[in-house]
Amino acid sequence: MLVMVLIFYLIPLVMTVYLSFTSMKNWNVKYLFDLVGFYNYHRLFYMFQHDPSFKAIVLTTIVFILITLVVNVFGGLGLALGTFFLSDIVGSKFRLLWLLPRIAPIAVYSLVWYYFFHETSIGTLNSILMELGIIHQPIPWGQIIPWGAWSVIIFVNGLVGVSFGMIVFTSALNQIPKELVIAARVDGASAWTISKRILIPLLKWHLLYVLTWQFLSLLTTYCHLFLLVEWNLVNRDYGTTLALYVYNTAFLGGELDQGLAAAVILSVIGVSGGFLTLKLLGFEKMMKRPRGDV
Amino acid sequence: MVRIRLENITKEFGDFKALDGIDLEIEEGEFMALLGPSGSGKSTLLYIIAGIYKPTKGRIYFDDGDVTDLPPKDRNVGLVFQNWALYPHMSVFENITFPLELRKVAKGEIRRKVAEVTEMLKIENLLDRYPWQLSGGQQQRVAIARALVKEPDVLLLDEPLSNLDALLRIEVRAELKRLQKKLGITAVYVTHDQAEALAMADRIAVIKDGRLLQVGTPEEIYERPRHKFVGGFIGNPPMNFLNGFADRGILRIGKSTIPLPKEYESVRGEVIVGFRPHDVEIGEGIEGEVYSVEHLGREQIVTVSVEGEMVKVIVPGDRRFEFGDKVRLKPKKIVLFDKKTETAI
Amino acid sequence: MRDIETKSRKSELLIILTIVIASVPMILAFSLLVLSSFSEEMVTNLKSFRPTLENWINLFQGKMAITGSIRVNIFEITLNTLIVALGVAGLVTIVSTLAGYALSRMDFRGRKHVMIALLVLHAFPGVALIVGVYLLYKLTLPQDPDLMRFYSFFYVILARGALEIPMSVWLMKGFFDAIPWEFEWSGIIDGASRITVWRKIMLPLVKPGILAVALFAFIAGWQDIIYVRTFLIDQTLATFIESNIESEFSHMPLIAAAGTLYLLPTIVFFLIAQRILLQGYSGGLKG
Ligand SMILES: Nc1ncnc2c1ncn2[C@@H]1O[C@H](COP(=O)(O)OP(=O)(O)O)[C@@H](O)[C@H]1O
Ligand SMILES: [Mg+2]
Repeated sequence: MLVMVLIFYLIPLVMTVYLSFTSMKNWNVKYLFDLVGFYNYHRLFYMFQHDPSFKAIVLTTIVFILITLVVNVFGGLGLALGTFFLSDIVGSKFRLLWLLPRIAPIAVYSLVWYYFFHETSIGTLNSILMELGIIHQPIPWGQIIPWGAWSVIIFVNGLVGVSFGMIVFTSALNQIPKELVIAARVDGASAWTISKRILIPLLKWHLLYVLTWQFLSLLTTYCHLFLLVEWNLVNRDYGTTLALYVYNTAFLGGELDQGLAAAVILSVIGVSGGFLTLKLLGFEKMMKRPRGDV
Repeated sequence: MVRIRLENITKEFGDFKALDGIDLEIEEGEFMALLGPSGSGKSTLLYIIAGIYKPTKGRIYFDDGDVTDLPPKDRNVGLVFQNWALYPHMSVFENITFPLELRKVAKGEIRRKVAEVTEMLKIENLLDRYPWQLSGGQQQRVAIARALVKEPDVLLLDEPLSNLDALLRIEVRAELKRLQKKLGITAVYVTHDQAEALAMADRIAVIKDGRLLQVGTPEEIYERPRHKFVGGFIGNPPMNFLNGFADRGILRIGKSTIPLPKEYESVRGEVIVGFRPHDVEIGEGIEGEVYSVEHLGREQIVTVSVEGEMVKVIVPGDRRFEFGDKVRLKPKKIVLFDKKTETAI
Repeated sequence: MRDIETKSRKSELLIILTIVIASVPMILAFSLLVLSSFSEEMVTNLKSFRPTLENWINLFQGKMAITGSIRVNIFEITLNTLIVALGVAGLVTIVSTLAGYALSRMDFRGRKHVMIALLVLHAFPGVALIVGVYLLYKLTLPQDPDLMRFYSFFYVILARGALEIPMSVWLMKGFFDAIPWEFEWSGIIDGASRITVWRKIMLPLVKPGILAVALFAFIAGWQDIIYVRTFLIDQTLATFIESNIESEFSHMPLIAAAGTLYLLPTIVFFLIAQRILLQGYSGGLKG
């Protein structure tokens, strides 16, 4: 395992950081020793100020993360609480259904929404709205900038992330003694009151945990976005986040050296977020030493 | 205050019958104990009275009103759980006011009621604390305060003392009984501890495997068990049982015989004879051999082997017994049970 | 949860209704895809469902377009996907079972650091790594074409597996932690070696854990697109769908059929492994 960590985490990490200080282009080894200092970082900053495309990407990243985070956390909380009040069998069926976005193959999941939001009348959304007479022409939803594109990517990723919060909250809810809920029921509390006054206050820490963890995931996820952008379902600039930008510069041709600088920035945010989460989790508690001397 | 009437209550969980045709009436202001071993269905019955479970069959009446389908909040019951179920994120004050808040009681009224109930339970100075800052006894009082603050018609308690240590338990049970009498509230008290039931209840309902075996005052239950199980479950040490054969006023146990009291004169056939350890004299009667002796200060418990079965008797502490001594036991009060049905004859 | 039985069913129905409404787009979108694969035209516009098996027949015969002669071997593509998924599952299961045991039971130096590192690695942006991983790949890629193909399989399994390992190790450690020490001690007292104890006592006890880890690793390998398209020379179902979406000649219902085929294992898991899916995730996530 240590070897794998070395090969697939440490060495690549060092390489990425190192390369971000070179003028690496197109994976051409001849740039390998062409050190340029902080030039790439400067350029990134410059682009942010003057390149509308890149500005759009940064803006998209921020909006995408914030709104999707809210959708994920509250969607997950809502589903966990909702299914908590249903009988176990029905509740777990619903929870299972909402795992689908997470475990379906990424290409299939994206394909499904590709058809749903398709810009022609083949798109499900368009045909429904046209049938209802709300619109008369098919609308290219993902190409309306910025909010059309944002809505699509937030919707698609929002559904994927909901299951994480749902599962964490559900397992936390199952640890709360049932008598607390029943006692409140005897006193006449509704499901809504029980959630608001008893369950959610008891889930405070889990909320924080899901919030930070999901933030990190959203910061670094890009696989669904990649397909949506590649298939032209959403606008290229307003459907791309920083993580996807890094990938695209690296593998679809582009300013690789700047992509690498962006990657390093992402990593810094990621690692600090990781440590923050550890603190929140009360890491020492989990570190129980093994018993015995064997 | 209400009178509770249970009619043919049956509760099934899937294939499993947790309660089977329970008929029980609880009078206004009465303290009724539901007594039985763990898993006998006591909590289930209590939850059915509270309205948490719905009986599979049967009906429940509060006074003359049918409440079978009413949710708990419309039955006006106060419920105390075994683990007390205090909300960990609320202070004592918030815990106690929660039921009132749900009823949208006015602020001033809330304060008055909380003052009243906390004074009664002597927890006025704990209001700002959180449950984890309280001792077991204090938590238990808060749980009772929370159940009482809404002035329920019925107080339901599910083994509220089982999480307290032995000394505190004895202290609290006296207090609880006093409180119930003072308020005049109808109370149903679930316990598996026979001493608790004997000490506190006006009447006891003994439950086993979902069936009601006997209902009666502590004295009736103790003196005249209607079922072998009741005798064996109540009293410490519990009732002794021996197999015997009754014929024309004589009971034969192994080689020994004893005369039967008048009411059993007509009994004939195989029976089980039950008698309490306290109700035995050593002298004439059933032959046995001393098996072990435990000294309890003024008294001692002597275990006697009779025809291979063990019988415990309590005798004054001054007589000395040795292992292997031959003794004869003379039960002063006996109960006969049918050999097959194990019910009292 | 087992709620009170006397409450009105209205609130329950309301909850169910809300969740169902929230789930409608998802259910609709997935079912339309599956339906389309059996239809002459895409039915994503909710019209004109004319059932046919032609798409599936064409798919299995590798006929990509109604006319023309572009042919692919869908069996080989599926097999490639399966190789990657099984490879990732095998690798992750073995590594995390061993490492999970070590972290749970052995007190070696640096244990704490390894555990912290694992968690932080899990939070690490994969995209920052893949760039470096790719450079390493470029540098080590053999020249021989056959070897190259083999190497690309090997590499994609390692790289994708490495991404899954931190969480899987934590998950496995949790499963080992749950086994009382007494089992192991009694084995050792009876004179078994540590290896024997591990094989004869621990392994059977953590079987559910191993199953869960293997299942999740398989899902990860099966669903992946990024690593596959970056490293693998051969095509998998993911890259097959990816590359045929926008192309002029592809017949959309046929792609829908490929998507449905690709979705099949997921549906199978839904039917047979519900408990593992719902519980395994929570165990791993709680760390
Ligand atoms: N919700 C339930 N589902 C299934 N079986 C139950 C449930 N509640 C109780 N039981 C079963 O019913 C029997 C009686 O339980 P309970 O009333 O809790 O017993 P007691 O309180 O006397 O210990 C037990 O065997 C228990 O396993
Ligand atoms: Mg009970």
